[in-house]
Amino acid sequence: MGTTSRATYKPAGLLSRGQCLLFGALLLIPCIELLFDLGISAPTRFVLGFAIVGIGLNVVVGFTGLLHLGIAAFMAIGAYAFAILTCTIYPFQLGFWPGLFAALCIGALAGAFLGAPTLRLRGDYLAIVTLGFGEIVQDLLKNLEPITKGTQGINPLPAPWFFGLTFASDTPKSWYFLYLAILILCTILVRNLEHSRVGRQWFAVREDELAARCMAIRPDKVKLTALAVGAGLAALGGALLASLISSTGEPGNYDFQISILALCIVIVGGIGSMTGVIVGALVMVGMNSILLPILGQKLQQAGIGTTTSVYLAPDNYKYLLFGLALVLMMRFRPKGIVAAREEDH
Amino acid sequence: MSATPIIEVDSVSMRFGGLVAVSDVSLTVDGGSITAVIGPNGAGKTTLFNAITGVYDPSAGRVLIAGRETIVPLDARAWRSIFLYGIASAFLAAVFLNVEEIWLSAVTENYVYLKPFPWLEGVGDAGALVIAHGGWAALVGGVVGAAGRWAIWSRTRRTPEIVAESGVARTFQNIRLFPELSLAENVMVGMDRRMHAGFFASLFRLPNAALERQKAREEATRLIEFVGLGSSVDVRARNLPYGHQRRLEIARALASRPAVVLLDEPAAGMNPTETVELMELIRRIQGTGTTVVLIEHHMRVVMGISEKIAVLDHGEKIAQGTPTQIRNDPKCIEAYLGKEELG
Repeated sequence: MGTTSRATYKPAGLLSRGQCLLFGALLLIPCIELLFDLGISAPTRFVLGFAIVGIGLNVVVGFTGLLHLGIAAFMAIGAYAFAILTCTIYPFQLGFWPGLFAALCIGALAGAFLGAPTLRLRGDYLAIVTLGFGEIVQDLLKNLEPITKGTQGINPLPAPWFFGLTFASDTPKSWYFLYLAILILCTILVRNLEHSRVGRQWFAVREDELAARCMAIRPDKVKLTALAVGAGLAALGGALLASLISSTGEPGNYDFQISILALCIVIVGGIGSMTGVIVGALVMVGMNSILLPILGQKLQQAGIGTTTSVYLAPDNYKYLLFGLALVLMMRFRPKGIVAAREEDH
Repeated sequence: MSATPIIEVDSVSMRFGGLVAVSDVSLTVDGGSITAVIGPNGAGKTTLFNAITGVYDPSAGRVLIAGRETIVPLDARAWRSIFLYGIASAFLAAVFLNVEEIWLSAVTENYVYLKPFPWLEGVGDAGALVIAHGGWAALVGGVVGAAGRWAIWSRTRRTPEIVAESGVARTFQNIRLFPELSLAENVMVGMDRRMHAGFFASLFRLPNAALERQKAREEATRLIEFVGLGSSVDVRARNLPYGHQRRLEIARALASRPAVVLLDEPAAGMNPTETVELMELIRRIQGTGTTVVLIEHHMRVVMGISEKIAVLDHGEKIAQGTPTQIRNDPKCIEAYLGKEELG
């Protein structure tokens, strides 16, 4: 019987079946728009950026079991590192790609540095400390005015370049394809980690730290790796989102709300499942930046928009819908839309 | 089989506040043997296991594994790491506490919009400022960094991972598997000690990492068959029945190819058939050259397979010897059955 299972074993593919389907569907969106102008590929770029942040947070929360409530701080660090290294008001003036890579590395380093003092904390205590880090980073960015321009934010930021594609505000499709490609690349690489020795160490520490230690696994090193990967991806997502609006925005944009949004993406999508996280980003950010604005527009066109009553502005129901999504999920699919481990191989 | 001692417990005591859980226990385990530690509930058997495997640091006494104390020494490597931490934190403190001034004098004053940046001057100005204003910050930062590294060193001299690294594997009284992982993955975690794939090899799925994983998977399958769970390699551990979970824990412990494996009540909750299979399994483990130490309450298992028995009661070792000696030892009979009423 053992021999049959040995024969049927195949190493994990580059992407799982669910991920292939999902990315296929995402590739179709701009193609459909060539026929009917739905106007959704432009806002979906934000979904892709947040999906990368979600994949990063999922490494920390889902794979390693560390409840992290300050991921927005690393988005801010990524966005500001990208801005300082690329914007013309600073002397460094790297291009888009070197800037993006540097933001990823700086984010990962910051993740490891801020993570090092927290290694002995668990559960709620770790959550409180990471929450504090999130606030401290915001205040730092606000108050280091000569470096970060304080509450003004840094702009303009460079748009991406890629052979033969133009990236301007009226060409959302080229941005869309590029960001989707980056998301797919991140998914493949994190999936490689998930199905390797590194991922196994993350899972072991999450499941039972003492048992893992008795198997000669060093939890400090394992947790630091996870925190660095998570922070690096969050920084990458932050930099991509900043490049999208050509500004870092003010430091207050990277507040607790954003950390919670990222956490909701992971929890609603399916904690520990990368397919789930991307679905979660589609649901949470998609509702926020695609569904509600379009609904508002339609209501406006029908003559029953905000001018008539504030109750008719769909955007005002944002947090109500967030809450509803969480309640429904806890009731009907407590493991998230895509439960981890149902989607393996 | 060689009779050199693989574990030497040298007058170990474990105190928790006022409670003495283990008091001055000495114990020698010969390489290649099966040794049992028995005693009534609360006698300190599991505490002794925890002290051996580094889960607890003994309050007194020492534990030698293969003749060596498994403690990280304060050698050149430890000093070098303390020194490097000191330097790094001194530098970081000097830079971060003056970051605004450094930026102003090095970047803002030297950069004219869209003109090439004079890098040499910038770096020079920054360096001059750090040297001029960073002295105290560097001193305090360096001392704190070095002291912190020293504190970490002194607190983690004998941890479970260091003991496990030296070839001691164990199971737990209340099963501690990785419930959401498959059987194969559970066992592969046990193999981690012998694996080499680093972060970047894993990230890019380099050929050597993929090959290592493939081999580990095959070996895990063999080990799972060895403990008699052959058909369910990809089942999640938490879906296994209780007795099978115990055997999976043994497979995971064996996966690190330890010199000695410590089994904490392996037969607990098993029915008679399973118990017989377990005894058979333990003998096969001994056959592979691995030393076995077990805590057990089933006297049939203990008397049936162990070559040497140590008896603990109230934290003290009251007897040690062969099964026949222990069976006839009045102190052991007293510990288990109570004192004979006099008068």
